[in-house]
Amino acid sequence: MRIIPQIETPVSENYINFEENLIKLIDEIKKTELSNIDTGQNLPQIIIEQNFGVNGLLLCKDLKDKYGNVNIAYAFNMRDKNRISILSDLITLKQIGIKDIIASEGLHPLKTVFNAAKPVYDLDILGLGLILKRGFMNYLEHIPGKDTQDFFNLGAVVALSSAVDGLKIKKLINIGADRFIINYTGKNLDEDIINYIKSEKKEVILLVKESYIGNSLENFIRENVNLNLDGIIIKILDEKTNVFTRQ
Amino acid sequence: MFLTEKKDIKEIDEALNKYKKVGIIGCASCASVCLTGGSKEVREMEKHLKDSGKEVTFTISIDEPCDKRVLREDIRFVEDEMKNTEAVVVLSCGTGVQTIGEFIGKKTVSGTDSKYIAQTEHIGEYNALCGGCDECRLNFTGGVCTITLCPKGLLNGPCEGHNGINCEVYEDKECVFVKSYELMTKYSEEENLLKIFNPRDYGLSVKRTKI
Repeated sequence: MRIIPQIETPVSENYINFEENLIKLIDEIKKTELSNIDTGQNLPQIIIEQNFGVNGLLLCKDLKDKYGNVNIAYAFNMRDKNRISILSDLITLKQIGIKDIIASEGLHPLKTVFNAAKPVYDLDILGLGLILKRGFMNYLEHIPGKDTQDFFNLGAVVALSSAVDGLKIKKLINIGADRFIINYTGKNLDEDIINYIKSEKKEVILLVKESYIGNSLENFIRENVNLNLDGIIIKILDEKTNVFTRQ
Repeated sequence: MFLTEKKDIKEIDEALNKYKKVGIIGCASCASVCLTGGSKEVREMEKHLKDSGKEVTFTISIDEPCDKRVLREDIRFVEDEMKNTEAVVVLSCGTGVQTIGEFIGKKTVSGTDSKYIAQTEHIGEYNALCGGCDECRLNFTGGVCTITLCPKGLLNGPCEGHNGINCEVYEDKECVFVKSYELMTKYSEEENLLKIFNPRDYGLSVKRTKI
């Protein structure tokens, strides 16, 4: 099981400092006991989340150039961009060699400080999957996935709170999603759905906000170890003071 | 019904600032039901304009001012007064305002804000159930519109933020995808449960407009 930090791109911090601290964080994680459980070799080591902040594609490119051995994933949402802009980002990601993408629908602007912003939601993550894995929009040239449909590892962020989530997961499996990122809300997770995902040979990763973890990450991992997870993504707010550095 | 709300009267006054002779047209259909453009509201507007020093040249309620056929017939009742009118306040939805503006060829001032196609719970309490999105999917969703009732307008939901029952955004309301699932299960619509909707074709909504 791999433990993966996820962090939003910086708003005020200089991006070069941000990158340096990110690499320090990855090195620190390697030194902790967490590295003993780090067997998810094909999973990313760090997830750069594009929300409101420095352009995440720029960060991915710069990190790849400077620290080529770091396996990076790019997380984005369906809220902020329409299909044209998302495809443009995917073309860029493909060119810079980022294969791991994590797509969520995204928090509605009404729940953010940008509550007057118009949300986009031109695609949902199934729509994105249709483009990447099923050739929807193949009438266009140079569509990412058109010639190499399996270029991207599509990680889909989903809830696991009710039967309808299982249905959505089944649809995502049908279109070829590669990974399922379960949005952890503190409630008990439906193990049957997790087992179903695993039976389809797909990876299951828990996405946990730092605030749910409490004081001990080890304890949190221990409590959830029976879920047969491939990884846990910890969404951190700060590279310097977070649940990893407090170990 | 198309829901409208009364505009701030200051905005109407400002729009009429340079006009002295003003007519008033109400809508006896939707705007009448939601108490923004019926005969009572027309009389209120008349009183306000007279109190503001305007000369009200005519008042009329038209059954459906958005219907050119009805408008053409009914506007004849004020044909002579219209010649002596500089501007018209229209108490209807935006479609009515524009239909009248195009037809009379005079300055038209909207007296309402247009909201949405509404279900009437009670007078004063309305719900949006349909967004008029060109391609109705109700036959595949258990009969509830996820585009209108999900704040994110998702076709293939739910999103990752619901809690198993309620919506992430409106926490006191049920997630429409949970509801849709319940209804499809109730009606044994197994074939629809796994249906995947292609991304919407927004080109359709451009084709319906006319300038």
